[in-house]
Amino acid sequence: MDPIVLRALVVGVVVVAVVVAGKRWQSRDGKITLAASSPQPSRHDHRAVPRPSGPRIEARHLDAVGLDLREADAGALLIGSPTCAPCDTVKQVLGDIQQGRSGFRWVYADAADHLELAAEHRIMRVPTVLVVARDGRIVARTSGVPRTDELNAVLDGEFQAAA
Amino acid sequence: MAQELATDEQGRLLIDVRGPRFGAAITTVVLALALIIQGPVGVGLVVWQWFVFAVATFAGLRWSIYGNIFRWLKRRFDMGAPPATELEGPPRFAQLCGFAVTTIALILMLSGASAAGWITVGVVLVLSVLLAFTGVCVGCELYVLGQRLRSAKS
Repeated sequence: MDPIVLRALVVGVVVVAVVVAGKRWQSRDGKITLAASSPQPSRHDHRAVPRPSGPRIEARHLDAVGLDLREADAGALLIGSPTCAPCDTVKQVLGDIQQGRSGFRWVYADAADHLELAAEHRIMRVPTVLVVARDGRIVARTSGVPRTDELNAVLDGEFQAAA
Repeated sequence: MAQELATDEQGRLLIDVRGPRFGAAITTVVLALALIIQGPVGVGLVVWQWFVFAVATFAGLRWSIYGNIFRWLKRRFDMGAPPATELEGPPRFAQLCGFAVTTIALILMLSGASAAGWITVGVVLVLSVLLAFTGVCVGCELYVLGQRLRSAKS
């Protein structure tokens, strides 16, 4: 076969494979994983180790990122990076949610400044959002851009529990 | 070229989110052609793409060649207001990554490691395909890993 035709075929196959892989990757993006409802962690589940009390953020980590939940019902921690465009979209989502919920707090933290926390909670990519209850329990988590209504639904459950 | 462009309250450039994906689509075509044709014409296309990355990285996206083609098309065909805008920082960083990898590819080709050079061009092609067709943020996937490696070294 003419080498130019061969190379065209190879390039075509690579492009199609990358598009398919990218679309699959994207379809997982922003999916919310509830901490309580995953007794059998699946492959997509960040391999969270189920502990008796469920995962929680230690108080020192909450202090380090500046998330003060004493006056709040629930909060969210956004782990991001300076060169991450979707992180800005997540900031908008969290800002929108805060407008509708007076008892909701959220903070942004650069993953580079909190590597220990990232390692402890197996945060592999940005943006990752941890939804945190008042007592530091992680209620849910998501990587990528979550949908505002889905995040609100999770918070609805948490706010009912807090009330 | 550099007409009045939108900025945020701190004067940082805001760009149409469709722009980088349009640019990535042109990059995909240029690099795919380069890989298929190879030879002096192929290398010429890679040099052109390297120059495009360099302009966007060092002069800013205001001067980005593909970005300005997009702006012209937008006006010419009245494509309407941007669905959203974003700060130029992240896409400019992506251009820097493209510039860095393309530089490596050209150095490999010039030093006689032609096959390795073309494989490296293939890496840039894969990244631009990802951006053009899916908008996946590759820098986001690697950031935490990169920071961990950095802190492990120091």
